[in-house]
Amino acid sequence: MTSVIAVLAIVKILIMIGFLLSMAAVATWGERRQAALVQDRVGPNRAVIYLPSLVVQGIVITPPALFATIAGFTAWRYVNVVTAPESALTGLQLSIFVGWLSALVLCFVVRKKGAANGLDRLVAGWTPRSIFVTGLVLHVLGFVAVAAVPAPSLLIAARVTNGLLAAVFAFVGVYAGSKVPEGKVGIRLAGLLHAIADTVKMIWKEDFIPPRGDKLLHSLAPILAVFPVLVTCAVIPFGRSLCFGDPNRNGVFDWPDLLAVAPAMGSKFQCPGGHSVHLQIADLNVGVLYIFAMAGTGVIGAALAGWASDNKWSLLGGLRAASQMVSYEVAMGLSLIGLMIIYGSVQLGPMVEWQSTHAWGIFVQPFGFVLFLTALIAETKRVPFDQPEGESEIVAGYFVEYSGLKWGMFMTGEYVELITSSVLLVTLFFGGYSLPFLQNDGVRVAFGSSVLFAYKMNHVAVVVISALAFFGKVIVTGFFQIFIRWTVPRFRYDQLMKLGWTRLLPLALGNMLVTALVVLAVQGHADAENGLAFLGDVTQALVAIGMVAAVLAIFFGLVEPAKRQRLMLSTAQKFAAVTGGVRVTPRQA
Amino acid sequence: MAAKVETTPWTKPAGKPIAGKPVPRPGRSAGVQSYLPEIVKGLGLTMSHFFRNTKQMMLGQRPDAVLESIAEGVTTIMYPEEKRPYPARFRGIHRLTLRDDGSPRCVACLCCSTACPAQCISIEPAEYPEGDLRRGYERYPGTFVIDELRCVFCGFCVEACPCDAIRMDTGNHPVPYDSREQFIYRKDLLMSFAGRDGSKQTENPRHEPGDPTHPGISRDHIH
Repeated sequence: MTSVIAVLAIVKILIMIGFLLSMAAVATWGERRQAALVQDRVGPNRAVIYLPSLVVQGIVITPPALFATIAGFTAWRYVNVVTAPESALTGLQLSIFVGWLSALVLCFVVRKKGAANGLDRLVAGWTPRSIFVTGLVLHVLGFVAVAAVPAPSLLIAARVTNGLLAAVFAFVGVYAGSKVPEGKVGIRLAGLLHAIADTVKMIWKEDFIPPRGDKLLHSLAPILAVFPVLVTCAVIPFGRSLCFGDPNRNGVFDWPDLLAVAPAMGSKFQCPGGHSVHLQIADLNVGVLYIFAMAGTGVIGAALAGWASDNKWSLLGGLRAASQMVSYEVAMGLSLIGLMIIYGSVQLGPMVEWQSTHAWGIFVQPFGFVLFLTALIAETKRVPFDQPEGESEIVAGYFVEYSGLKWGMFMTGEYVELITSSVLLVTLFFGGYSLPFLQNDGVRVAFGSSVLFAYKMNHVAVVVISALAFFGKVIVTGFFQIFIRWTVPRFRYDQLMKLGWTRLLPLALGNMLVTALVVLAVQGHADAENGLAFLGDVTQALVAIGMVAAVLAIFFGLVEPAKRQRLMLSTAQKFAAVTGGVRVTPRQA
Repeated sequence: MAAKVETTPWTKPAGKPIAGKPVPRPGRSAGVQSYLPEIVKGLGLTMSHFFRNTKQMMLGQRPDAVLESIAEGVTTIMYPEEKRPYPARFRGIHRLTLRDDGSPRCVACLCCSTACPAQCISIEPAEYPEGDLRRGYERYPGTFVIDELRCVFCGFCVEACPCDAIRMDTGNHPVPYDSREQFIYRKDLLMSFAGRDGSKQTENPRHEPGDPTHPGISRDHIH
């Protein structure tokens, strides 16, 4: 193992851990914010940092300035004949995207807070929907324009478009910086600071251990609750494999090789003579089984916490958690057998590969998906299966006697579990890092053997897009899982056990049998396999259309032109308005 | 034989069943029993709430769940930074008012500690030193201790004081501490507090012995 491989492994681990922990914080915030919007109440609003205006301006200007510098350097130095077409296209599309998105944001801000200058008034005069539609039209025109540029002048076009991108970024940064108000500015990050403030609070809180509890096990339990959740993601592939060349032909992966990324890739991943890097921390041959093993370890943390606390409620909670997790683990494992039969592997990499070439798991195993999702929610002990906690019965369950950072570790573990379960759902059922029609060599829209549209893309671009697709899918799935919490009422404990053992388990077994029979019947019949492959392509098309439609619907819905009127929401607000407000300045006391 | 119950508007009329709107029980159809369609319906409901509210928030028709929950006119206040104005007669933490020369007005008569229902005031009277005009005429508190944890903030001590020497007009709460000792407020601490107007004295004039306004009763010539 060379130093490059070791460093890359560490980078992969950091990416995964960083994603999990930051998304756990975001999920904590998202859950409260979502609740505020679902149930018409106030969101997390208390945490605030006051910074001087100059510092805030720096924070606002720095990222666009950085991007502008990168684009400027690209235009100046790193454009060559080979990369010119893609560079020109990327630069133009990115500058259009940044342009209309900033205009949209500016439009919303100005409409809310009032215009300060001519540009503000101009932008506020446009409707948000017209800005969005103009952006879409410009995107299409951009494709046409770059395609129309003759090959010899592509180099100049690339320089011009990247220069344009740098200019757009610089203008957006400076303009946003000039919008920062004078004096002290309160930074709330839409309530996201709350999660950070909670962390700081938990670190400094008193760490209480019950005097007659088991001190060692009491301290060990939170670690055992967090650890398995974090390590589960070690076998998850979060992007397509990268291929590095070997320019010095020494057969060893060393530092100069990092710059020699393969420029393009065939439809199949091949890396002859080079070094392939899987975007996966550990490519274990047991794959899914490792995930089950680690998820099973999570029981120990909850049970130990309940036992070591010397408290009847926490003991009951620990027992509940242990029996619930053990019961649902059975159903969870069995609901995936059908998937393994179809994919023909238990390794996560081949599973995602199968989904990207055939169809997403949710289409081939819809029933297995429902069973797995149910078992997964029970496994993560979230609503509606949060019986291990219950204010009216056993207070907070197995972590009644925990405070400070240990309690925080249980909570973090719970939210990391939410993200981990989203990661599992995405990898097993939503195609992992694959996007419909995005192959190793670029976009290729094909049904069966008839290719409708093909567009070659750079190898690195494909890998980056696939990694972004993976993380984006995880975020959307997590968002959806939080919605389940606000919708489904919780079960009684006996109902939960009954559901696990007498409903999910037989159904999972039946699903496994039916899948096996269907696979046996289809295997070896060329016609049937071709038909299924075509159906798979149709599902990919459906997914692609669905994704585009969802994005368009969200933008069209959110930027809908509507009459601006303030709704008086709460009774308290109405009362305050009638009495002329409750705030008296200058404040007494 | 059942006793005859008098009928009031709140009791059920004798022999008449209460008429109510019949509510049909939900049937046990396959859709309800399999639970999934209902979950999907429920998800649709919560999501429609979420997206409608998000849209209204972005269009400025609905207050932002975070930012505008702290805007003017909303009853919620950001407590440590801003405080609700207390009424003028709010009984806050005690203070010992001062004379012009900075000594306590208190004459250690023990009226307040006698009146205190929580017995949280402890005073040890002391004589003024030899040569002081007030010696023999009045005493001063050698120690003046209030246990703010015992205090019930009834204000009887203020009512009892004949010299306007103890007041509860600081407008402050007792500050939270992490040990009981810190809640024992002593004389110098009590004397360091100012009233809401910022003054450590009071508006009631004090007539010291020897002042022209003093009624002239002194015990000097008695002894």
